[in-house]
Amino acid sequence: MLELNHLMPIPLRDRLSKKESSVWNNQLIFNLEEWIKITAPSGTGKTTLMNMLYGIRMDYDGAIILDGINIKNISVEQLASIHQSKMSVIFQDLRLFSNLSAYENINLKRVLQTPYYKAEKINYMAEMLGISNILSQKAGICSYGEQQRIVIIRALMQPFSWLLMDEPFSHLDNNNKAIAAKLIAQECKKRKAALIITDLDDDDLFTYSRKLVL
Amino acid sequence: MNELNLILKKIIRDGVGSTKKVTALVGLSVAIFLLLTSIQLQINYHNLLNNKNNKDSIANFLVINKILTDATLGKTTIEDSIIKDIKQQPFTESVGELTPSKFKASIESNSSRFPFYTDISFESVPKDFIDVQGTDWYWNEQSPYVPIIIPTLFLDFYNFQFSISQDLPQLTPDIIKMILFKVSIHYKTGTISYNAKIVGFSDRISSMIVPQEFMNWGNHQFSTDTINTISRLIIRTKDPGSPLLSEYLKKHQLTTDADKTRFSKYRKVVDTVVYIAGITGGLLLAFALLVFTLFIQITIASCKEEILLLIVLGTSPKQLGNFLIKRFFPTNIWLIVGAIITVSFLQFFLYKLLEIQHIHIDKFISGYTIALASLLLLLIWWVNKRTIRRYIYH
Repeated sequence: MLELNHLMPIPLRDRLSKKESSVWNNQLIFNLEEWIKITAPSGTGKTTLMNMLYGIRMDYDGAIILDGINIKNISVEQLASIHQSKMSVIFQDLRLFSNLSAYENINLKRVLQTPYYKAEKINYMAEMLGISNILSQKAGICSYGEQQRIVIIRALMQPFSWLLMDEPFSHLDNNNKAIAAKLIAQECKKRKAALIITDLDDDDLFTYSRKLVL
Repeated sequence: MNELNLILKKIIRDGVGSTKKVTALVGLSVAIFLLLTSIQLQINYHNLLNNKNNKDSIANFLVINKILTDATLGKTTIEDSIIKDIKQQPFTESVGELTPSKFKASIESNSSRFPFYTDISFESVPKDFIDVQGTDWYWNEQSPYVPIIIPTLFLDFYNFQFSISQDLPQLTPDIIKMILFKVSIHYKTGTISYNAKIVGFSDRISSMIVPQEFMNWGNHQFSTDTINTISRLIIRTKDPGSPLLSEYLKKHQLTTDADKTRFSKYRKVVDTVVYIAGITGGLLLAFALLVFTLFIQITIASCKEEILLLIVLGTSPKQLGNFLIKRFFPTNIWLIVGAIITVSFLQFFLYKLLEIQHIHIDKFISGYTIALASLLLLLIWWVNKRTIRRYIYH
């Protein structure tokens, strides 16, 4: 269970407190297997929210409680353990190692903990998303569309109960969006995981259990 | 190496720190070598002085007396305060007083085949300081003869000079021990004679010695001088080459067989070499560790973005720390092993070199040297671990 208890990012407090929001400064509870869509226009704190939920931004008022534990109070080692086994993420800004190959970028997340999947799964998912031909290529010279698909596969390589996605399809065409969403849905169902996605616009890529406006 | 470390190796590279790494490693090698060499040298010297072959050797016993100069003529008594002081010195294990005979005496052969006569004087020393074992070193008025120990030098002098010039037969130690001598004590009103036998030969004391009981009896019976003054002492010392001992004797105008303390000069040289090597090694070690720390710091700083992303993706600082230790530390193991092999080789070379001169040191390096090497390894590991932890968490 993930509780958001009157969250308010300190740097954006003045701006956000004047606006109506179903997330900021509200009491929210997200459960496993829930698929939640959060829509908002640019500049309203989508990435900030994702970073706060992922535990890498702490400059906020309120509390985020994951399975009864306030994530502000946990150690770096505990947070690493959560990132390895409970929570996976797709960053909007991709965050790939440009000097590593696409395959190595994905494999890093697979071997960071006891592997959830065998290495063959990387090829299977790459094939599915149409990037198997660039797996040996350095991530830095891949197109944004290819990089985004690398990041999606990377996020699916580990065990998780929560999948956070910050505008995960911003560089993909509709066809590739649908294929990627299908793969993500499949993986979340398999793990009985919750999915939280932020985006600019509403969509029906997933069967959402809740839709919120930031 | 596991898959994670292979990927991490590609992400975290030496970058700008490579030259510093080489400098640090060269510095560390020299520092470790100097430290191991200094301790091995010290141990070699210690073993030379204290091994079983040298134990109880002449060099461990020193007979000392005042330096005889115009100023000290007739004033050679060693004061009680000095004797007490000597007993308290760190180089002293025990002190014995040598008692001179205060009566006129002569010794002659009873055999016509071996005509021999000379005036003689005796000394006595506490039994613990005598290097002739297995003799019944005791006398009383009922004893059939007075046991005497003479310096080995006397026997050599007789066999290789006196007997040749006087056309007398050469004598082995065993034959000498069988000869019955006559010792005569000459006092004011007459002469009294006793049988005497040479029961042993001393390499330690350069005078003819008799049992303390005989000396006490003789001095009491035949001397009018009742004041018991001490002019010579025998000291047992752990290290006759100790510069401290040499300096002490010099300061109190005392002297001993220079041959026995000659090691003090070498000792000073060894001490200086060990001291300089130790200090240089220590300084170099501190400097090299500093450079190595800087190298780790620079490596981490140059990969700051990558390390940050690794942590964001879920790499634990512990995983990163273990990777970095595996990355930096094994080189140091090789350095230590290299230094041990080099010092072992030098030790064997020294062993061979000194063997020719009949000086025996161990073929192999000491356990203490290995222990120091292990300690250094532990220290380097600790510095590595601490630096990595500090900068990763930072």
